[in-house]
Amino acid sequence: MKKLLGNFNWPLFASMLALIAIGALTIRSAGAVRSAVFHDMWLSTLQTSLFGLAVYLTLAFSDYRNYFSWFALPVYAFSLVLLVLVLLVGKSMMGGTRWLWFFQPSEIAKPCVLVFLAEVFGRREELFPGRFRFRGFLFAAAAAGLPALLIVLEPDLGTALALAPAVVAVLLAAGVWRKGLVVLLAVGMLAATAVLTAVYEAEKPGVDDARRERILEYVPLKPHQVKRVKTFLFPESDQMASGYNLRQARMAIGSGGLWGKGYGKAETNQLKYLPPAVSMNDFIFCVWAEEQGYMGSLLLLALFGVLALSCVHAAYVAADFRGRLFAIGAATLVFAHVYVNIAMSIGLVPITGLPLPFISLGRTFLITMMSALGIVQSISIHREEIT
Amino acid sequence: MWKVENPVPSALPACALTAAAILLGLTVLAVRLRVEQLDNSSERNSEMKQQSERRVLTAGARGRILAAGGEPLAVNRPTMSIVLNPGAFQSAGRSATVSNICEAIEAAERTVGRASKLTARDIERHLERALALPLVVWSDVDEGEFSRFAEHSEQFAGLDCVEGYERSYPGGSLAAQLVGYVGRERVEAQAGDKRFHYRDFEMRGRAGLEYYYDSYLRGVPGEQIVLVDARGFPCARREAIRPQSGPDLELTLELPLQRAVERQLSGLKGACVVLDPQTGGVLAMASAPAFDLNDFVPVLSQEKYDALATDAGKPLLNRACGATYAPGSTFKPVIALAALGAGVDARARYECTGAFTIGDRFRIRCARTWGHGELDLRLALKESCNSYFCWIGCETGTNAIVRAAHAFVLGAKSGIDCPNDLPGVVPDEEWKRAHYAERWYPGDLAQISIGQGMLLVTPLQMARVIGAIGTGRLVKPRLNAETPVQMSRLPFPDAHLDIVREGLRLVVSRTGTGYRGAEGVQATVMGKTGTAEVGRGASRRKNTWFVAYAKGTDASRAEARDREVAVAMVVECGESGGGTTAPRVCEILKFFFNGPAVAGGAQ
Repeated sequence: MKKLLGNFNWPLFASMLALIAIGALTIRSAGAVRSAVFHDMWLSTLQTSLFGLAVYLTLAFSDYRNYFSWFALPVYAFSLVLLVLVLLVGKSMMGGTRWLWFFQPSEIAKPCVLVFLAEVFGRREELFPGRFRFRGFLFAAAAAGLPALLIVLEPDLGTALALAPAVVAVLLAAGVWRKGLVVLLAVGMLAATAVLTAVYEAEKPGVDDARRERILEYVPLKPHQVKRVKTFLFPESDQMASGYNLRQARMAIGSGGLWGKGYGKAETNQLKYLPPAVSMNDFIFCVWAEEQGYMGSLLLLALFGVLALSCVHAAYVAADFRGRLFAIGAATLVFAHVYVNIAMSIGLVPITGLPLPFISLGRTFLITMMSALGIVQSISIHREEIT
Repeated sequence: MWKVENPVPSALPACALTAAAILLGLTVLAVRLRVEQLDNSSERNSEMKQQSERRVLTAGARGRILAAGGEPLAVNRPTMSIVLNPGAFQSAGRSATVSNICEAIEAAERTVGRASKLTARDIERHLERALALPLVVWSDVDEGEFSRFAEHSEQFAGLDCVEGYERSYPGGSLAAQLVGYVGRERVEAQAGDKRFHYRDFEMRGRAGLEYYYDSYLRGVPGEQIVLVDARGFPCARREAIRPQSGPDLELTLELPLQRAVERQLSGLKGACVVLDPQTGGVLAMASAPAFDLNDFVPVLSQEKYDALATDAGKPLLNRACGATYAPGSTFKPVIALAALGAGVDARARYECTGAFTIGDRFRIRCARTWGHGELDLRLALKESCNSYFCWIGCETGTNAIVRAAHAFVLGAKSGIDCPNDLPGVVPDEEWKRAHYAERWYPGDLAQISIGQGMLLVTPLQMARVIGAIGTGRLVKPRLNAETPVQMSRLPFPDAHLDIVREGLRLVVSRTGTGYRGAEGVQATVMGKTGTAEVGRGASRRKNTWFVAYAKGTDASRAEARDREVAVAMVVECGESGGGTTAPRVCEILKFFFNGPAVAGGAQ
């Protein structure tokens, strides 16, 4: 036990707890002025996090090498089944079929893919005797591509894209076919550029409807996604519709100033300019930033930095290859969410429905994230045997 | 252990790369957030203010109007209103919100016990136009209604009591035309740099002193900021600038005297002005018939307006300075001074035969149809002999008379600080040509010599004239106690004034025409009666005057001191100056100099 605690990654654990606390506080503040349904959301978030903590500690103090092998394939398969199920019987909400009963399978799928990739690449000796690099690459593309495709079908492009950096990081760390990766990245960037250019051409002022339609025919995006991209490209246009949330978000963050307006005094939220559907979820950072100012933003960034870098540290000291791969994947997954979420609320990237880990309201995501970090903690604790 | 084709990559590059990517991302966010939160902060803040703040211009309390000694004439009566906050009744869609509000009002109506005047249409208009402001459901609830509401207030979420105030006139009809009344208008923004979303109502003077001193009495407006939510409903309000009350206006008016004067005028048509001839302070100014100022609060009802507008007595008219009358014989002291100035000998005697004739057609009759016999100036004043004054008027000439009248500032506004300060008319050749396109006949001169014809004055002007003759100094009348005293010496030698004063004292002697104007008054009194005939045929009537100057010990106050007063009273359709008006002025003087108890007994 002494050995276990000696290797315990305290910064990883402490920053996570701090973030959960900040999350509960912010949810409480965001919900206080809403209808009664929202008043106790922060308490249920804390309850969920207690459950998450139990899972976390269980996963952390068990040796990941014992459970990784046997649960990698089942959880991956299970998440695929859930993703198929959600397409068949899921609840439709706000332009997408993302909910299965009380949780979002796509949130569960993200770490499951990482677990599966880490396990497979960790056992590459057995699985890919000889030419690992190329086959590993193909395998990873298939293993990550399948759930990503299912998530895109929901449609939830943002969540699917959020997985990409983590997969790329795992592939890089695994040492698979680098040229393939470069090509993949290049293709991705080209595709993104092409989409942005097309939307720009279609939506720029003075384009008639026929031409706009013709261009958008070639853009593989849903209308609401086109709108988000348009809002990103032309933030001044269309302020009452899709640009509204962005405008309110920037107003909230900007008006926070250096020290913020104080806890429970976020005007944009209090006066309901930010709809509750987003102020507790995707745009919760705005509430925090308006209340706590730039100093609060920096505190949050620092906590996320500590968290992600602690994961990287766990990867560095991991006892085996799969541990390293998973820890790197987890670090990237968390940070990609943080980056995209905050960047979108200041107009740096298009608006996507990505939650801010540990802060946004959402039990599925909270539990899966805590579980993933529990595994990382286990990787850190059980590091001794590296040779 | 590992095959050559699949070496385990070293941990360092991958970890370093990931860490670097994370640090880079953090740096980008930190820098961008710095720009957003620090550099753009004020811009975002003003954007937010524009979005969520509604500025309301609020009214400051209006200053009071007080009589001398602080007795109130116009005050602000605190009121309670029940208002409704539309935000508490938000519902999907405007019509649902309106019906929510209607239901809440209906429920509250049963408790309060008064039906609200609001209709669904009014509520909808309020939601459309003034959503950020509370909706007044009942204004000025009485005590019973208020306590019933307060008892059950927890049942009425979204309804609230707010304090306000309403103008109130404790004197009712006391000095009604002088004090005036107010209406309601939106607050005016001060020299306009700021734009306001809403402006409250404030009282605005419509007549009398409320009108004249409107900008003085008006408070300094304040600014309230209402925070509205995304749907425009108010959430919170704060006072950015407190409105300030306007200053009180203290008058020279003495209310006990004012009441005594109004008692004397009750039931008549007429006016009376009591002036302090040393300071110009108006001690009383009454016009009858009057009206109740409180009828104008909060607004005059249509029936009451019709009644006031069609009343033959014209109660809204301030006859004391807003109506002109022929002065009749009260003008004779001015003629006397003009004549003395023109060299007429005061001791020269003239034989009155009962009428004065010019040529063979023009004839002015004397009050004593059989004639006064031989008279000098003093006696002519005492007897108010028309023939004598026609004679010295013709001797003196139009220009000298007009000059003397102008010396008393007749024919010009008196400069008193209230509206409806009429100048009256002092006619001369030029004036007649301009207004009647006729030449000036000797008959015109004879007419003005006895204060008739085209000559017109106000009671205020006559009070000033008699006061000036009494003191030798002409004062500018004033109502505001803080206005400095303005006076000038009369351009007549003291010797001439003394002759006229002697004549005026004879008027109130036992055998004078105004003997009933000073009976029993404990003061030195001089006076002049006047009976001006106006109209022809059936509408022929007499406006009866009495003007008086008195000097004695003021008994209406606790600390007795020497005081002087000048009184002018006109009664429309009276019998004669000496019979109708003089006794009333006498009562006023008794009240002032003998003490209220005596006057009360006489009442």
